[in-house]
Amino acid sequence: MKYRRKLFRHRDAFDLKGTNELFLKAMRENCTYAYKHCPGYRAILDDAGFAPDRLQTVDDLADLPFLPTALFKRRRLFSVPRWRLPLVVTSSGTSSGKASEIGFTVGDLWAGLKMVLHICKLRHLLSFTPCHYVVFGYQPKHKNRTGVSRTAFGVTLFTPALSRTYALRWKKGAYVLDLGAVQDAIVKHSKSRFPLRFMGFPAYAWFLMKRMEEQNVQVRLPKGSRLMLGGGWKQFYAEQVDKSEFYALAKKVLGLDDKDIIEFYGAVEHPIFYNDCERHHFHIPIYSRVIIRDPVTLKPVPNGTPGLVNLISAMDIGTPLLSVMPDDLGILHDGCSCGCGLDSPWLEILGRVGMQDIKTCAAGASEILNKVEVEL
Amino acid sequence: MILAGGKQYETSMQSQLLAGLEDRLNATLAGPGLDPETVINAIDALGRRVEAGVFDRQLADLQIDGAEQYKEMAVRLLRRDHLEFKFRTELGADFRRDYTTCPPAGLRPLRVLARPLGVLLHIAAGNADGLPAFSVAEGLATGNINILKLPQADNGLSLSILNAVLEIEPRLADYLYVFDTPSSDVGAIKKMADLSDGIVVWGGETAVAAVRRFAHPGTRLIEWGHRLSFAYLSGSRPDEELKALAEHIVITRQLLCSSCQVIYLDTEDFGQVQAFCDRFWPLLEQAARANRPTTIGAVAELTLRTYTDKLEAILDGGGAKPWSSSLCSLIPKEDSALELSPMFGNVLVKPLPRGRIIPVLRKAKPYLQTAGLGCEAGEREGLLNLLVRAGITRVTHPGSMSESIPGEAHDGAYPLQRYLRMVDVEL
Repeated sequence: MKYRRKLFRHRDAFDLKGTNELFLKAMRENCTYAYKHCPGYRAILDDAGFAPDRLQTVDDLADLPFLPTALFKRRRLFSVPRWRLPLVVTSSGTSSGKASEIGFTVGDLWAGLKMVLHICKLRHLLSFTPCHYVVFGYQPKHKNRTGVSRTAFGVTLFTPALSRTYALRWKKGAYVLDLGAVQDAIVKHSKSRFPLRFMGFPAYAWFLMKRMEEQNVQVRLPKGSRLMLGGGWKQFYAEQVDKSEFYALAKKVLGLDDKDIIEFYGAVEHPIFYNDCERHHFHIPIYSRVIIRDPVTLKPVPNGTPGLVNLISAMDIGTPLLSVMPDDLGILHDGCSCGCGLDSPWLEILGRVGMQDIKTCAAGASEILNKVEVEL
Repeated sequence: MILAGGKQYETSMQSQLLAGLEDRLNATLAGPGLDPETVINAIDALGRRVEAGVFDRQLADLQIDGAEQYKEMAVRLLRRDHLEFKFRTELGADFRRDYTTCPPAGLRPLRVLARPLGVLLHIAAGNADGLPAFSVAEGLATGNINILKLPQADNGLSLSILNAVLEIEPRLADYLYVFDTPSSDVGAIKKMADLSDGIVVWGGETAVAAVRRFAHPGTRLIEWGHRLSFAYLSGSRPDEELKALAEHIVITRQLLCSSCQVIYLDTEDFGQVQAFCDRFWPLLEQAARANRPTTIGAVAELTLRTYTDKLEAILDGGGAKPWSSSLCSLIPKEDSALELSPMFGNVLVKPLPRGRIIPVLRKAKPYLQTAGLGCEAGEREGLLNLLVRAGITRVTHPGSMSESIPGEAHDGAYPLQRYLRMVDVEL
């Protein structure tokens, strides 16, 4: 996988034009491997009459058969025997009750680490200044293999951690949302010399800030503090919380500026780290390419047109994640329309396909309602 | 957006508005109250606006399939004659007049006044567009002050309907508060609940259970929870009836409480169940093809599902399943349990001989709602009684399970009665 290695070593994480050739070679290399070692993937490519060496120009990426993330929930696809995979991650459970299992090889994890280090430069996330951490997520537990709990913990390694406080605590055999304890930790750490960093589900951050507002608790966090949000964006669509409202509340109760809030986007089935720019847009990094497809014909559409989101990356060898399609509708915008200086296009997620969101949101909301109630 | 006292506010004003709400409610309660005639006039005028196409653009913006049918139904429900009929059916002809009882054997008579409960909190569900406005209209019609917590999936239609009502009848302004509070903001919802005499909750079991936990034990709860409905077919049924059932399944997408989840056949023989699938399949497929979705989300979902199914079939190396396409499917099962189907045109078919109707349906008693009964005329009364004894609250023909019938009760109760209290005054 020498082309992948080269691609993930590239210095400028948003230099799409300069890495097109390398990206294509890495895709061809990975595709050839998956075709050879994953019989299911081979069957799908054969059915489409697509051979890996068809990948000759960037435009050919659109012809590579893509796999819906739903397929990974129904079938297990690995290109490497499971016993040789140091990490198998499951996606967070969905309304269908089925989760996907994605395998990572040692090489995949190294590539991922290099990617995170490159991308973190964008918003100066890496630092030697020690920090306190508040994680709006699950307290790590031996058996919790969900991707989000791993990401949330991983992010606390960006700087030396002085302490870690978890919003979802393991108590007597179940996770309990304990916003009271988190609030106490915030008030305590706001008087510390060291910055405080938050990481995790945006919806929980929102509940917490509302709680602080109601109880009239306002703090000014030390300089360098950050609110990092990722995972569980779907709950955000459901809450219909306006982003500007979110930022205004963060300013009011935590004393954080707009620029101190950093958002992440990613999926287990497309483990690329999307980090927003100062204007809160998700620019496409060099490790992936994005094609928006027509909801009827599945043919690529021009930038600015809404459609199904097709995410392409050569990062993972363990599972054939070369070209995947989550249940999301989105728009790809021209990079220059952002104005932050990056010219790589940016992805706007509009929401989930279908009408299920109405139901799952209702179910999800009452679930949250239950959880929060426990602590009232 | 928040609507309070006829004015619109930003969502960020919620805390302030909630803080002053108790005083405002008390001031309104101290006033002369709301005359039902005022409300009926306003709703009737609203219906005429809907008919004239004032909301057409918003209905189109909703991007829902079957918007025309929604409009027709709304126009029918909002008419003065329908409203008066509803009042008469649910509350009796004279409910507006206070009356004096005439007890037997010279016992002392009482003066009885039917009065609004006071303040109603509506926690509405998002699975039917415009439903929140409908719930509030019932509350207004009975003279109550209404606080509406909008569902998250609401798309602005409810708020514009209610704004139009206030435009028609500004006197209703003090009887209507709308908050777009998310369900997760339990603190705010509890505050609204504490100010209310009754809570009307629409939604799933978890939503109802959550409200039961935070509501004061003395607050009247009016719960419209999720229900399951089914078709019950006995003997060989005519094509037109089955065609109407297929259309009902496809058009409601099986999302409503009254939508058919299971087709029961009055037989013990699973071979007959399969034979029925053979006969029903072309009708269902035809209905599904004629009612393809048109909104971008639904179209994308269908494309993605079809594509995923195709890849899955390649992985399995097998052929297609019988009675199944990307648009719809029939799922025959040997058991008889009443359960939720996968919805969206995917219906369960099960055997249920009449002798086992009671034991099977009793297992699902908290969920029973509509039975679409198709049988010979001579058998109808007998089967109907069995279904009713099992706990069914609505019996219709198979094709009209989700049609609203003027004057019908809701899940076995008359809602308007539940929004009133009977006050006894000693003479």
